[in-house]
Amino acid sequence: MRILLDKFSKSFGDVRVIEDMTLEINDGEMLALLGPSGCGKSTTLFAICGIHKVTGGRILFGDRDMTGVPSQERNVGVVFQSYALYPHMTVAENIAFPLRIRKLPEAEVKRQMEEMANLVHIEALLDRRPAELSGGQQQRVALARALVRRPNVLLLDEPLANLDAKLRLEMRSEIRRIQLETGITAILVTHDQVEAMSMCDRIAIMNAGEIIQIATPQEMYRNPRTAFVAGFLGNPPIAFIDAVASNGTLTVKDADIRLPVPPNTETPPDGTPVIVGIRPENLGRDGDAPIRGRISFVETQGRENLYDLTLANGSVLRSIQRESDDVSLNDEVEWRVRSDQLFLFAQNGERL
Amino acid sequence: MNASRDIAQDGSAPFKARAVPARRSLGWLNSSKGLGIVLLMPALMLVVLFFLAPVVLTAVFAFTNMSTATGITGGAYQVSPGTLRVLSDRYGMGELAERLGQPTYIVDEEGLAALEEMGIEPGIIAGLRDDHLGETYSSRREFEREIRDLPDRPSTRTVKQISAEFSRSLANARFRNAGALVAAAEAIDPDLGDAEKDALLDATYTGWTWTTDNFRRLASSPQTTRVLLNTVFFVALTLTLFNTGFAMLLAITTHYIPERPAGIFRIIWFLPRISPAVIYVLLWKWLAWDTGFISAFLDNFGVRPRNWMLGSATNAWVFVILINGFVGASMGMVIFASAIKAIPQSLFHAASVDGAYRWQQVRHIILPHLKWPILFVTCYQTLSLLTAIDHILLSTDGGPGGATEVWSLWVYHTALNNYAGNLQYGYGAAMALVLVIIGVVLSLIYLRLFNYNALIIKPRIEH
Ligand SMILES: Nc1ncnc2c1ncn2[C@@H]1O[C@H](COP(=O)(O)OP(=O)(O)O)[C@@H](O)[C@H]1O
Ligand SMILES: [Mg+2]
Repeated sequence: MRILLDKFSKSFGDVRVIEDMTLEINDGEMLALLGPSGCGKSTTLFAICGIHKVTGGRILFGDRDMTGVPSQERNVGVVFQSYALYPHMTVAENIAFPLRIRKLPEAEVKRQMEEMANLVHIEALLDRRPAELSGGQQQRVALARALVRRPNVLLLDEPLANLDAKLRLEMRSEIRRIQLETGITAILVTHDQVEAMSMCDRIAIMNAGEIIQIATPQEMYRNPRTAFVAGFLGNPPIAFIDAVASNGTLTVKDADIRLPVPPNTETPPDGTPVIVGIRPENLGRDGDAPIRGRISFVETQGRENLYDLTLANGSVLRSIQRESDDVSLNDEVEWRVRSDQLFLFAQNGERL
Repeated sequence: MNASRDIAQDGSAPFKARAVPARRSLGWLNSSKGLGIVLLMPALMLVVLFFLAPVVLTAVFAFTNMSTATGITGGAYQVSPGTLRVLSDRYGMGELAERLGQPTYIVDEEGLAALEEMGIEPGIIAGLRDDHLGETYSSRREFEREIRDLPDRPSTRTVKQISAEFSRSLANARFRNAGALVAAAEAIDPDLGDAEKDALLDATYTGWTWTTDNFRRLASSPQTTRVLLNTVFFVALTLTLFNTGFAMLLAITTHYIPERPAGIFRIIWFLPRISPAVIYVLLWKWLAWDTGFISAFLDNFGVRPRNWMLGSATNAWVFVILINGFVGASMGMVIFASAIKAIPQSLFHAASVDGAYRWQQVRHIILPHLKWPILFVTCYQTLSLLTAIDHILLSTDGGPGGATEVWSLWVYHTALNNYAGNLQYGYGAAMALVLVIIGVVLSLIYLRLFNYNALIIKPRIEH
C-alpha cells in the first residue's frame, strides 16, 4: 500500500524534531530512512504507526487519511529496535497475539501463526520464551509478529543494530527475502548506509529532521545531492578538499595540484571557493589528474589496502587499491584521480 | 570472601606467627572470618535481645498458668475453705479435706518444747507429758478441760496459752514452702500417703505452675473459633479489597495519567500511612460519632444521629477494613507502580500497534508482569495484617460485643488489658505463640516461593 507523509511535523514540547516532511513510499517498495542517530528517524516511524500524535500535516495509507486514527486501527507491523517481544508469552503466543486481539477464530489463528513461523524459519522454536532465544531468533519472531496480521505497511526500526556482525549479514538478506516474498510495503530505519544500500529499493536520507535526498542506492551514490549525502554513503568514506576555481580548473591551495572540472558540471566563475569530493576508489594508479603527497597511513584489509595520502597543505585524501607492497608508509608518491568521478560542492554543501 | 580469607592466612600464618609469637593470640583477628564475627557481634546481640528473646519468652510463658493472681515469681501454700473444696471435688479426697479442716489439738513434743520456751511452769509441762502425750482432741473445750484438770491447776489465761500451742489445724494457715505444709499435715495425720500429699500441695499452691492447659483450653474454647474466623475474614477482605485490589487500581490508573498529577495522587494515598495512627483513627471516629460528620450530614435527611462505627457488627467491620485498607494500600500501590514502570515502554507500543486497547494492555501486558509483585505484597501483608492491632484497638477495640475481635487483639485483651482485671499472661502467651507459629510457617512457605522465583528467571541470552 502506498504511504504518503504530507507536510508532516512533529515536536516534543518546544523541541521541533520534524518540520514539514513530505515523503512518499510506493506500494510494495522497501524504503530506507537513513540518517545519523538523533535526526528523527524513529520519530517519523512512530508517527506512521500512530504511537506519536503528529503536530502537523497528514499521514495517508493509500487514499485513507490515517492522521487521527489510533495505532490499534492502523494495521501496521512494527519491528522495534529492542524487538519488544512479550517476555511472558511463548514464541507461538507472541506471533498469535495480534490475531487473538482481533478475536480471530482459534483455528485460523493457529494456521496463520504457523504459516508465518514457516516463512521466517522458526517452526522449531514455537514453545520457547523470548529469553530462551538468540538475538537472531528473537528478530525473526518480531518479524513474524509484525507480519502475521498482513499489515498495510511494515516498519523496521534499526532491526539489525543489536546483532553481531555475522548475524547482521544473514538477517539483512533474510529481511529482504521476506519482504519480497510478501510484497509488503516496508520502511527500514537505519543509520548504517551499508544496510540501506544493500536492502532497499530506495533510500531517503535524513539530517536534522529533514529529508535531503530520495533516490535509488546507485543513483544516490553516483549523484549525491549534497556533501552530507556524499559523506554518508560509501565505506571507506569520501574525502573532501578545499579548492578555488581558476581558468576552468580547480586549484588546491599550497599543494600544487590542479584538477579539471568534472564533466556535466558547470565551470564555476574564477575565484569561487569549492569543495572537491574524491571517493577512495577513484584515487590510485590510473586516472588523468596527478596528485602528489605522502603516504601517512596504511591499513591492510586483505584483498585491498587503504591509504591516507597527506597533501602538501595538510589535507588528507583516502585511496583504496589492490593490495601491493611497492609503496609503504611515509613514501612520497604521485597518484592519479579519475576526474570524471569528482564531485564539486559549494561552500554550503550543495552540489554544483 | 573465601579468597580474601585464604590470602590473609597465607600471608600471616607461616612467617609472622613464628617471628612475632605475641601476635599469635590475636591471629584470628587477621582472618576476615574472625573479624567478621567481631563486627557482627553488636548486630547479633540486638537480634537475640529484641527478636529471639521475646519469642523464647512467649514460648516459655505459654506453658505456665501465670496471671495477675499467681504473679510471675513463685507463690506460697495457702489452705482455705476453697482449697479444701478443691481437694474433695477435684481429687476425691473429701475425707482428708474434712480431717485437715477440723480444729485439732495434739499433745506432742513440739508443743511441749514450745511451752518450755514460753516459760510455763515445769510441773504443768511434766503433767501434760505424763498424762496426755500423743492424745488428740477435736474440740478446744474438751482439750482445755483436760488441762484445767491437771494437778497444777493452771490459770485460765495459761490454759488458753497452752491450748493455742497444741492447735494443729490447717484451716486458713499459710506456708512458705511445701516442706512446712507437709510437716503440718503430717502432724494431723501421720499416715498421709504420697498421692494425698501431692494433691494437697497442688490444691493449696498459690503461685504459677508449668502446664499445657492453655493449649487445651484454647482448642476447646468456642471463642477461639469465633476470633479465628474474625481474623481470617479481616485479613482476607483487607488484603483482596485494599492491599492488592485497590493498590493495583491506583497503580494502573496512575500509570496512564501524566507523571506530575500521578505523583501528587500517589502522595495523597500515602497520607494514611505516614500520619500517626491515633490521629488518623481519631479522624475516622470523628467521622462516625453520633455528633460526627456522617450523623450531621444524614440529619438533614431525617436520619437519627448515632454512632455509625459501633452501631452494628457490619458497620464496625466496614470501618475496620476501610481504616486498615487505606493504610495498607499505599505499599502495594508503590510496589505495583514501580513494577509497571519497569515494564519497557516498547512493550506498550508493540501492544498498541498489535491492536490492544488500554484494558487489553492491562490484561495482557501489565497483569502478567505483576504476578510476582502481587504474590510478594500478598505474603508480606498477610503477615502484617495477622499481627495488626493498633488501628482496630483504637477504633472499635474489638467491639461491638467482640464482633471485630481479631486474634492479636484477643491476645492483648487476655494478657495485657481486660475488664475482669485478672490478666492471664500464660494463656495470652499461648495465643501469641499460636500466632507466631502461623507466621513462621507462612514465612517459610513464602520464602520457598520466592527462591523458586529466583530459580526460574534465567539470564537473558543474547545472540
Ligand atoms: N519523547 C520525546 N521527548 C522529547 N524529545 C524526543 C522524544 N523522542 C525523541 N526526541 C528527540 O527527537 C530527536 C529525534 O529522535 P529519534 O527520532 O529517536 O532519532 P533517531 O533518528 O535516532 O531515531 C532527538 O533529538 C530526541 O532527543
Ligand atoms: Mg531511533
